[in-house]
Amino acid sequence: MGTKSAELLPGTLDMLILKAVSLAPLHGYGVLLRIRQISGNALDIPQGSLYPALYRLEHQGLIAAEWGQSDNNRRAKFYTLTTAGRKRLREETAGWNRLASAIGSALSTAPDEV
Amino acid sequence: MVQRLGSLYRALFHRRRFEEAMAEEMRFHLAQYTEDLVRAGVPPAEAARRARLEFGSLDNAKDDCRQARGLRLADALSRDARHAVRLLRKTPGFTVTALATLALCLGANLAIFAVVDSVLLRPLPFPESDRLVSIFNTYPKAGVPNDGISITNYYERRGHIPALSSLAIYREITSIVGERGATAREYASLVSPEFFATVGLGPVMGRTFTDTETSYTTNSVAILSDAFWRQRLNADPQVLGRTIRVNGQATTVVGVLPAEFSYLSSKARIYFPLASGPGQRLPTERHSGSAGQMIARLAPGVTVAEAQAQIDAQNTALEAKSGDKGKEMAAAGFRSMVVPLHADHVASIRPTVLLMQAGAALLLLIGAVNLVNLLLIRASGQLKDLAVRQAIGASRHHVVSQVLVETTVLTAIGGLLGLLVGAGGIRLLMVLGADQLPLGTHIAFDARLAIIAMTGAIVMGLAIGLPIIWYNLRAHAASSLQLESRTSTAGRVAQRVRHAFVIAQMAIAFVLLASAGLLALSLRQALATAPGFQPQQVVTGQISLPGQSYPNPASGVAFTSRLMDALKRQPGVATAGFADNIPLSGRSNKSAATIKGRAPRPGEAPRGHYSYSVGGEYFAAMGFALREGRFLTPDDNGRPERVCVVDDDFARYYWPKGGAIGQQLFEGSVAGKDSEAYTIVGIVGAARQAGLTDDTAQGAIYYPYVQRPQSGMFLVVRGVPGQAESLGLTLQRVVRGLDPDLPVNDVQSMDTRVSDSLIARRSPALLAIAFAVIAMLLTAIGTYGVLSYAVSQRRREIGLRMALGARPEQVRSQFLTLALRLLAVGIAVGLTGAWLTGRAMQTLLFHVPSVHTGTLVATAAIMSIVCLIACLLPSQRAARISPMEALTDQ
Repeated sequence: MGTKSAELLPGTLDMLILKAVSLAPLHGYGVLLRIRQISGNALDIPQGSLYPALYRLEHQGLIAAEWGQSDNNRRAKFYTLTTAGRKRLREETAGWNRLASAIGSALSTAPDEV
Repeated sequence: MVQRLGSLYRALFHRRRFEEAMAEEMRFHLAQYTEDLVRAGVPPAEAARRARLEFGSLDNAKDDCRQARGLRLADALSRDARHAVRLLRKTPGFTVTALATLALCLGANLAIFAVVDSVLLRPLPFPESDRLVSIFNTYPKAGVPNDGISITNYYERRGHIPALSSLAIYREITSIVGERGATAREYASLVSPEFFATVGLGPVMGRTFTDTETSYTTNSVAILSDAFWRQRLNADPQVLGRTIRVNGQATTVVGVLPAEFSYLSSKARIYFPLASGPGQRLPTERHSGSAGQMIARLAPGVTVAEAQAQIDAQNTALEAKSGDKGKEMAAAGFRSMVVPLHADHVASIRPTVLLMQAGAALLLLIGAVNLVNLLLIRASGQLKDLAVRQAIGASRHHVVSQVLVETTVLTAIGGLLGLLVGAGGIRLLMVLGADQLPLGTHIAFDARLAIIAMTGAIVMGLAIGLPIIWYNLRAHAASSLQLESRTSTAGRVAQRVRHAFVIAQMAIAFVLLASAGLLALSLRQALATAPGFQPQQVVTGQISLPGQSYPNPASGVAFTSRLMDALKRQPGVATAGFADNIPLSGRSNKSAATIKGRAPRPGEAPRGHYSYSVGGEYFAAMGFALREGRFLTPDDNGRPERVCVVDDDFARYYWPKGGAIGQQLFEGSVAGKDSEAYTIVGIVGAARQAGLTDDTAQGAIYYPYVQRPQSGMFLVVRGVPGQAESLGLTLQRVVRGLDPDLPVNDVQSMDTRVSDSLIARRSPALLAIAFAVIAMLLTAIGTYGVLSYAVSQRRREIGLRMALGARPEQVRSQFLTLALRLLAVGIAVGLTGAWLTGRAMQTLLFHVPSVHTGTLVATAAIMSIVCLIACLLPSQRAARISPMEALTDQ
């Protein structure tokens, strides 16, 4: 949609969902929009794989679900981050940053630096 | 993990809610997206289409969600289970047979295992009960394997054996408890002060006994069982310090035991201190056994062998100081044995209980083999079905899981039915006398047993699934279409396996039947044994003369002679007598005797002889045979002359050539003064004291009651034939008439005592017969099933042969020959098994050789008849196959 969207790396979907839910309780569709928004419309996740991921995270106890009212007064299932989820998000973020900076520095290496 | 199980549980058991919520959530998503698209200017119809399209397949997403919840595996299992139940319902004949087999086999095992569990496996209900030991004196060379323990032993060992952290003695008695006119006899126990500390469980209210309460003047204190406290004292919370009357004496309650207190098989409801006088604690009384039983708690980390070594060392040191007496005891093989309490308590029934469990396990094995064969036959009928499913993509994994689910569903249902059969079986075992076994009152059907049984059933389901899987995978590997031609190797191997299983079944059934035969023959031999007395029309009961009312022997003698006179005057009473012990009472009082003027043979150990004090017309009342001389009469209790009667075992041992009458003997192991000698005035036939199957000719001496008065005695009344029904009531009425405070306990006819004494033989024999009958039935079913299948498989071949002129007899004999071949091998294997089992059972047999030709021949005959009947039907069916039908079939 609109701008260039990046290919989602395997294993990053869970991390993104945790991050999105950590900002505010969201329903499934809200998670989709939030990820799109916080990634500056760069990341677009396949809608079909969103729900299995949500169910898996809930099954693992990383997020919790509760029924509530959406903005337009419809019944919707809202997801929030659990304590275990918060811990996992911290670990994943740290791990991602290490990986990203390592890959970044590896890729920015100039020929004379070797 | 817990979180995940919880989430799976919610998804599984609120499945509808889970599915609805999932659908709603996705509907909401699509609606929101559609709305957003419309707001962005897309026409509504186009927006809905695009939302659907971008979401992708709803079903795939839902399925992935289910998998994320772990529902997929559960779904597959439940699908397989539903499939299994459908299959089972489609073949009711097979299902009923299989479930009945499982219910019977698992139920039988559960019931027997309940006994094994409570008697052999479960630890005694005391803390660190494996540290508890029993200590008893033994004189094996005198024929006295267990003589209990003496008061002296207790005081000499107490605090002097470092390997024992605590040591106690106790004796089971009965006491008369209650106010005048409302007395009842209660089972009681006399215990030394540290008894409760030794077992590790003491009063919840009050205290234990103290050392100062072990003399005859200070022992009027009692500790109550929870049951006594509740039933007789209405659970009085102020019971401590209250007095109750015991044997007419005011006794103070000092403690109440917890409800769970249960010491071995003791029936005691009330405990008193075990009192003794200073004279009973002297070294000279060291071998006056039968003061009680000794138990001890091993010090932490100490082994039984170390305790045994310390006891042996002390015995040796002490006996060295007692001179001739010590040497004599050494000659009798004296030793004090230290044995684990639990193992010792159940040692006598251990082999029988294990034999029964082995029998039940064999039954289960036959049942399992039967099931496997029936399932294999069914599996071969479903090969086409399997091939089709394979063709549409069923994996090996799926074939395996489906078989396992099916067999476990079957055995789990069978297991549930088995729980019912088992619960009934435990009741039946109780009726058969299991509650009279040591620790038998602890036998109960509880959740623990149910869990073990259900686990067993499921393991069995997995186990019988294995051969079926093997068969199906073989068929899976070979092309199933090829298999259909009935010549492939898989088909032949499967047939061989089925035949091997039938042979195994026959062999095991043979072993069970032959073993049951041996036990039944032993029982018959035991029943045919002459007890040495005539139990018909004899009623017995126990009384115990309390010391308070009968302070000296003379008062006891006076009472008994009045009692005998009164009894004899009753209508229906032929004669009456009494003795301090009677045959088959479960007790044995053995003591040594010394023949006047007889030097022991070199190397001869002193012998323990059954010793009785008798009065009234005891011999006539019990129906002893007079061999020589005369019986003791009531007059012998009124005269100072010391006379006695011995039995023919005794006479034969000392005077093999005859001439016992007129000889003199002393009670005890040393010759006394001439005036203390008893003159033998008669010889009576030997009676079986310890049991009908006790063959040891130990010899017995009967002394006049007046010479050896005892407070406890058995009354023996012989009725006039035809009028003996109410003798028990007569006995109680007459005793109450003379002393209202004296209850008569344990009133039983001698016939009942004889029959009860055989319960340890009768019940196992009955059980073994029941097992054997079930085994035969299962084998018949198995043989029938396999033969029927063989016939149905060869229908076309038979039809062809008949069309070509084969006669029905030829077809019939073809199948009968197959059956006979299987039977011959089954019996041959069974004979070997029966030979081995017979040897293993040797100790449980009575006057029956472990290899008994008659039993084996009869077993083979019964097996052959049953199996041939089972084969006859399918063979007959084969002979009646119409050529046309068989050839056009299929």
